[in-house]
Amino acid sequence: MPIPNLEKPIIKGLIQKDKVIVDGVELDGTWNAFMIERTQTGYDQSVWDEIANTVEGATISLCWQCGTCTSGCTMREYDPNYSPRRFIDLARKGDKQSLIELQDSIWRCVSCQKCTHRCPKGVLVEEVVHSIHNYLLKHGLVKTDPGTVFDELFLETVMKNGGRISELLLGGASAKAGFVTMSLRDLLIMMGPLLKSGLIKDLMKPSRVKEWDRIKPVLEEAMKEEVTPE
Amino acid sequence: MTEIANPYGKVALYPGCALDGLGKSYDVSLQLVARDLGINYEKIEDYNCCGALEVKNVNTMAGLLLPARNLSLARQMGANAVMSACPGCHYSLSRTQYFMTRYPKLREKVNSYLEKMGEKQYDMQLLMIHAVEFIYNTVGPEGVKARVKRPLQGLKVAPYYGCLYSRPKAYTLTGYMKMKDDPERPVFMDELLRALGAEVVPFESKTMCCGGPHVYSDVTTSLHLEARILKDAKRNGAELLITDCPLGHVAIETNMNKIAEKYGEDLRMPLVYFTQLLAFAFGHSPEEALLTANLSNPMSVLKRYL
Repeated sequence: MPIPNLEKPIIKGLIQKDKVIVDGVELDGTWNAFMIERTQTGYDQSVWDEIANTVEGATISLCWQCGTCTSGCTMREYDPNYSPRRFIDLARKGDKQSLIELQDSIWRCVSCQKCTHRCPKGVLVEEVVHSIHNYLLKHGLVKTDPGTVFDELFLETVMKNGGRISELLLGGASAKAGFVTMSLRDLLIMMGPLLKSGLIKDLMKPSRVKEWDRIKPVLEEAMKEEVTPE
Repeated sequence: MTEIANPYGKVALYPGCALDGLGKSYDVSLQLVARDLGINYEKIEDYNCCGALEVKNVNTMAGLLLPARNLSLARQMGANAVMSACPGCHYSLSRTQYFMTRYPKLREKVNSYLEKMGEKQYDMQLLMIHAVEFIYNTVGPEGVKARVKRPLQGLKVAPYYGCLYSRPKAYTLTGYMKMKDDPERPVFMDELLRALGAEVVPFESKTMCCGGPHVYSDVTTSLHLEARILKDAKRNGAELLITDCPLGHVAIETNMNKIAEKYGEDLRMPLVYFTQLLAFAFGHSPEEALLTANLSNPMSVLKRYL
């Protein structure tokens, strides 16, 4: 079948038949190759609507799919499936299935903000990607990923005292959650300069906001509120 | 002493977790440098965590209210600008300002919760600045140069700004104001370091990400990103990596052994906060500038200037 080898990877979903008869006439040569129908059906407009109605995701509608975000993306270098442009496209089409298939990539944004900064249309890409991910989490479509586990641990640690995060509390919590971050040897090496400079006592004490007992319930109440971009 | 031009008015420092914790050496050296240069700032007392890059992903309101309370505290001190030394804090405070400006109803909601907490409503009158910008726009490189007692001639340094120092422009206003740095290729720290006599090497990874938010949860990626920063610095012949981001500083320092094991021993390089190097050049001893507290032992390079 004379399809040039160079073009083969470009043409996906090709059907080739040995014998094709159209209107009683047998086709030969290259005319027996057909593309599989690629029309997308089953658009779910509610995905776009819901994301566009969050504070973070409101700018999703501004995207014109130029790909500036993705061409400079930090994560794309390490994960070829990571593409903010595609995430936005799929979310707007409401293609949940494809987004679910990308669940091992979509959480890996390192928030370097290159995309948000460079977007010519003013899409807050980093926020939108997190918003899409949050949509998937909220509807139970994807399994919890390490990034979200850590984010939740962080919030829990903040809620304990309100003040500055204690590295020890957070480190302990993340070790418990299974993020093995430091070997005993690393810890021992770290301890030397910390003890010498007396920094260790600052690390031990998390600071507590004075009226945290009064502030915490207000914060918890606020966290239950659904906010819209208005 | 001549009058120092201060375009910012009263400046409040938001220390955040880093400056009161693992980044103590940053805090101490910033105080030394500010005192030497005669520029003043006041610390925000009883502040709370800014939520960093994590809380905002879990809950929208928590991600806005936590920074908003700090901004309200700064206004109650009568400040006109909030300085953060940590780009992460700088980012989340600026982000809150951006969303509160953009969505008036959201602003009302945040303000009503602030009142419930017993704080004043935030009146949106603050400018967020980073410590580098603060020094650059007040005394500037000339003012720094005038204070140098220990010129660091021949010291090759690579300035690492981190991603959030200047990005995104919508939040940090870089590129929109004369007093802000270039968003993609910042130069303010370069010029401050040149004023010390040091040689600033060309450095491609100036604003590259160190994988900070995923330093626990996506270890392979963050190691890779950190190794690239060190590689670029080494390739250009730097002896020291100068940081202004406690998040990146701590992440690279604590991962140094793993990076060296995985990507080669020659990547080992000492890290110094830019204020530490300033304090050292101003004649303070390594102990005063807490240079001895850095895990990566910068004194191995700096001892020739003692």
